[in-house]
Amino acid sequence: MTQFNPGREVVVAGVGLHPFGRFPEKDLATLAMEAVLPALQDAGVGWKDIPVAYFGHVYYHGMSVGETALANLGLTGIPIINVENACSSGSTAFWQAYWGIATGIYDMALAFGAEKVPRGPVTVTPEESPERYIGGDHMMAGYALRMRRYMEETGAPATAFAQAAVKARQNASLNPYAHRKQEYSLEEVLQSRLIADPLTLYQCCPTSEGAAAAVLCAADSLDRYGINKERTVRIAAAVLTSGSYNGKGSDHSAFSPYRTEPGAVKAYEMSGLGPEDVDLVQVHDAATIGELQQLEALGLVPPGEAWKATAEGRTALTGDIPTNTDGGLLAMGHPFGATGIRMIHETVTQLRHEAGPRQVKNAKVGLAQCSGAGDVTTVHILTK
Amino acid sequence: MAVSVDTRRLKLTNEEGTEGVLLGFCCQECGIHVFGPATFCQGCSSSNLAQVELGKQGILYSFTIVRIPPQGWPGDVPYVLGQIELPEGPQVLAEVVDCPHENLKIGMAVELTLRLVEAAEGGSERVVYKWRPV
Repeated sequence: MTQFNPGREVVVAGVGLHPFGRFPEKDLATLAMEAVLPALQDAGVGWKDIPVAYFGHVYYHGMSVGETALANLGLTGIPIINVENACSSGSTAFWQAYWGIATGIYDMALAFGAEKVPRGPVTVTPEESPERYIGGDHMMAGYALRMRRYMEETGAPATAFAQAAVKARQNASLNPYAHRKQEYSLEEVLQSRLIADPLTLYQCCPTSEGAAAAVLCAADSLDRYGINKERTVRIAAAVLTSGSYNGKGSDHSAFSPYRTEPGAVKAYEMSGLGPEDVDLVQVHDAATIGELQQLEALGLVPPGEAWKATAEGRTALTGDIPTNTDGGLLAMGHPFGATGIRMIHETVTQLRHEAGPRQVKNAKVGLAQCSGAGDVTTVHILTK
Repeated sequence: MAVSVDTRRLKLTNEEGTEGVLLGFCCQECGIHVFGPATFCQGCSSSNLAQVELGKQGILYSFTIVRIPPQGWPGDVPYVLGQIELPEGPQVLAEVVDCPHENLKIGMAVELTLRLVEAAEGGSERVVYKWRPV
């Protein structure tokens, strides 16, 4: 069952990206602006044309940062919404922009996200939570728990996971926007510092800063805004789900199993496409185990077999399931609010065949999956 | 008088805080159990819940050895974080103690144990639920 019936076709008309890394001299609003401007330019529209904007970010940098950032472009009085859904804040902003147009409320929308993630282990619960004493709220430890269980159930060797990190760095070395471009060998990945056994440093995404933006438009309004149809990319599916009961009544305060399957099913149904149609995929690889499990949850490989596909090179740019083609969270870095829209930026760039050395051959269908704590999942499918 | 880290999850049954039980709820409509606080059933949303005391024996579903602790962690580093499956079904995240790392094994039997934990800084001490090999 689809979530709603989209009344109207919606496209991505423009995308923009601020490099990911550390930019102490720039505040959050500045980072955001420096992604929005290129997106408007890419779409060929003016700021005054935008009727609504959604801004994804997580960490507090003052109230109404979306409004502060966009005030620099001119106070047009449009509705501006700040969106928080943990690591999928940006993709949630994109999802909202899509549905605002698909349901006929707006003809065009801006979705953008930015973040300055502080250094150190990421936690979900607030500072005063009893979790501080209990020790279960630790993002990478949560991934490590899943990794160890996966290794037990499938027999996957550590090298398969390390290969995902090696691939991420290989892709990022071809991407000037990436936070971590340096390539590493399998051994270097496995011998990097242990964060939470068996996850080593290079198997975990860095904490980062950055921003991304997208301009969405109704297909029926492109002419009115003078948008070049040739460079637009169709949004075939836009799905957002939160946690559904998984049979375990889990200690949900911090640990999200990140269940993507329900969202994936809806996305395939909405688009009329199947996993076999997907030419490239961006998934939530906050840690290497994340990439493997999302590939399985999306039905791109059978359950328990993502490690083999990775070890065999099938997820490389030249493989049959190119995954995280720009380096993913692992090597692009992960500024929470920006990540979901960064995935859209990469997917659009690939489908336009403008990815240069990272170009996947014959890319026509791209899938972007982004997760957030609280068991949020977004799945977007783009086609050209 | 010892204080539980979270009275919604751990009920102390003596003054010293050396004995206690984990709390949860059992849905009277669909029968599932959840660990910790609940007003409505996680599975079927019914409000017909009965508070229950959960079992003290569990199975180690997974574990990790945390080398870089989260901010505010008051204990030793590294520490073992376990994902423990209770007989009633729910899973609990908690530290696993009294187990050399080489003995940790998925599927091993563990039992509830309580420890008094001093806060990292500026907080009070709390009794925290942990698990140890049977």
